[in-house]
Amino acid sequence: MKFWEIGKRNLKEIYRNPVLLGFLLGMPLAFMLVFCAAAGGGQASPIALGIVDEDRSQDSSAFIQNLGGIEAIELNEPIYSEKSQAQEDLEDGRISLYLLIPSGFEEATRAQQAINLELFYKEADPMIGLQLKLIIEAVGSEFLGVAPPLNVELKGTESKIKNLAVNFYFPGIAVFGLMILISTAAEIIAGDREKGFLARMFTTPARPWDFILAYSLPFIPVLIVSTLIYLGVGMALGLTVVGNLGYAFLIFFLIGLCSIGIGMIVGSLVKSESQAGVSWIFIVPMAMISGAWFSVERMPSAIKSVAGVLPFIHAIDASRAVLNGSSFSAIILDLYWLAGWTVVLFVTGIILFRRTMVS
Amino acid sequence: MNAVQTFKLTREFDSLVAVNGIDLEIKKGELFSLLGPNGAGKTTTIRMLCCLLKPTKGTASILGYDVIKTPFAVKRLIGVSPQDTILSERLNCWENLALIGKVHGLSSKEVKRRSKELLETMGLMERSKDQVRKFSGGMKRRLNIAMALVSDPQVLFLDEPTLGLDPQARRAIWEYIAELKGKKTILLTTHYMEEADFLSDRIGIIDEGRVVALGTSQELKTNLFEMHSMVVSTENLTAEVIADLLSKYSRLEKVKGRLKIYHKDLNFKEIVDYLHSRGVTVYSAALEQPTLEDVFIQITGKKLRD
Ligand SMILES: Nc1ncnc2c1ncn2[C@@H]1O[C@H](COP(=O)(O)OP(=O)(O)O)[C@@H](O)[C@H]1O
Ligand SMILES: [Mg+2]
Repeated sequence: MKFWEIGKRNLKEIYRNPVLLGFLLGMPLAFMLVFCAAAGGGQASPIALGIVDEDRSQDSSAFIQNLGGIEAIELNEPIYSEKSQAQEDLEDGRISLYLLIPSGFEEATRAQQAINLELFYKEADPMIGLQLKLIIEAVGSEFLGVAPPLNVELKGTESKIKNLAVNFYFPGIAVFGLMILISTAAEIIAGDREKGFLARMFTTPARPWDFILAYSLPFIPVLIVSTLIYLGVGMALGLTVVGNLGYAFLIFFLIGLCSIGIGMIVGSLVKSESQAGVSWIFIVPMAMISGAWFSVERMPSAIKSVAGVLPFIHAIDASRAVLNGSSFSAIILDLYWLAGWTVVLFVTGIILFRRTMVS
Repeated sequence: MNAVQTFKLTREFDSLVAVNGIDLEIKKGELFSLLGPNGAGKTTTIRMLCCLLKPTKGTASILGYDVIKTPFAVKRLIGVSPQDTILSERLNCWENLALIGKVHGLSSKEVKRRSKELLETMGLMERSKDQVRKFSGGMKRRLNIAMALVSDPQVLFLDEPTLGLDPQARRAIWEYIAELKGKKTILLTTHYMEEADFLSDRIGIIDEGRVVALGTSQELKTNLFEMHSMVVSTENLTAEVIADLLSKYSRLEKVKGRLKIYHKDLNFKEIVDYLHSRGVTVYSAALEQPTLEDVFIQITGKKLRD
């Protein structure tokens, strides 16, 4: 239990330092307050959605009615029956985007088959399409998840999401906030290396993994509290949690562990606290291609595949899906991916740290 | 088996040879001092023995365990007081001691018992519950040494244990270290010759990475030191007399208005009579016991402290 002894020391060194503690816990709070003020303050104006109903069935109109019940969406009347009309109106700017319900929709829903709905939007305005895609998916899964006969059950169904923008951006903001743990964790290790504390401890029988665990330990409470702050303040100021909050917490916890793991790696590579600033060389590009700030959909395929390998986009997509109502099975692969990264990062951290124990 | 043994222990930093083929044998229970000026290679030697630095050539063993091949076996046996005081600033004395004690595998009870003993000996009990960042340099230094001892190690490395302490605090630490003599094997480094003189069973004089002399304090002063010296306090010493003295004796030095004469054999009466015959007034004159400083100057041609 050597790691526990060193970990306790690290905990005390951090928690008895009011400035550091203030930063660690104040940062998520400030982050969330500013974000919610910016994204959630005003009521978002509804998006004008055109609909092309090629199916013209009972189910398709029920579904359209459902969509119409959502505050964030303003249905364009009348419903188009031809795609070409809708396309014309889109190009002329009379509608921002339109949804195509293909013929065979009813058949497919009744047979519980996969359905492809196409959402057309102006290339110049991709964000709006992305936002709406999520809503339609959420409504769609609610809609399709109900066993037939649909018409009775679905009456008056409303999306539970109060503010689209908050729900859309929240996961990215929270994950970016947790990414900052990379730099904090790296700085704590590098600072102790600079002060000679690590060298002092290297004359004791403590092993490399004892150190990696000991330096991760104090960040676990920080991680839990920050995640609670993100979710709590987010919910108080406009985030709607449709799905399971516990899964969302689990996803944030895992991505937080990944960040701490990267911090351990950076902390093993640098010699001083000031050098630990190089963490930002990792944080900023990784955040850029994680979907935290901008959508990755339209980035070059090479960058997209790098983004897909990294854990962050998985955390953002999965937590967004879960918050918007997806089931556990929809995010299980993302969870495996995050857990796998956590293991890989910590093992790498231990290997790199071991090399610094003798020079 | 020796407690500490080095085999042509060498460490280079790029082109600088900090430690140059040192062979040391320190017996169990012995207190051995490495005496040398700043930059001689003392800390580098200790760091290699603690498994912090890899020797570029040669190796060393602690109680038979090789420092390169079996570092963790070595680390279980040693206690280290680093040259720079390294404490966890926001922990109190008890917590600092418990950290090292428990990482060495001591039980809470044992840690408490040993900490209490050490805090009392080191005179830190009164402030033991304060965070150490509020401590004076001397108090930190004492805790630094206590941390090396808390795990009850068989081999103790003390790198300049009294560096920068006032004479009173220094003496208190000397007394404590002297009490450990015979119970622990201690390797101490210092650039204070009084410290080496007072504490050591044997002394190794180290300069520019090499051990240039080895022995008990007495052996170093008598066997290795060929020169004797005499100090005379005079008035109206002329350049002519000085030139004359220089031709007869090996070395002359002027220290604070006094004249120091070095030679293999010195005859007190002969010198005083000679000075009188040249009309020089002699206020005082005395033959000197050589000090380790003299030994050091003799061997290396330079002073321990600048
Ligand atoms: N990490 C290092 N890198 C480069 N040179 C070093 C390093 N550590 C020590 N030295 C050099 O090695 C020599 C011996 O240093 P050191 O062992 O600290 O001496 P001492 O402890 O006797 O004062 C010095 O010239 C010092 O500058
Ligand atoms: Mg030194």
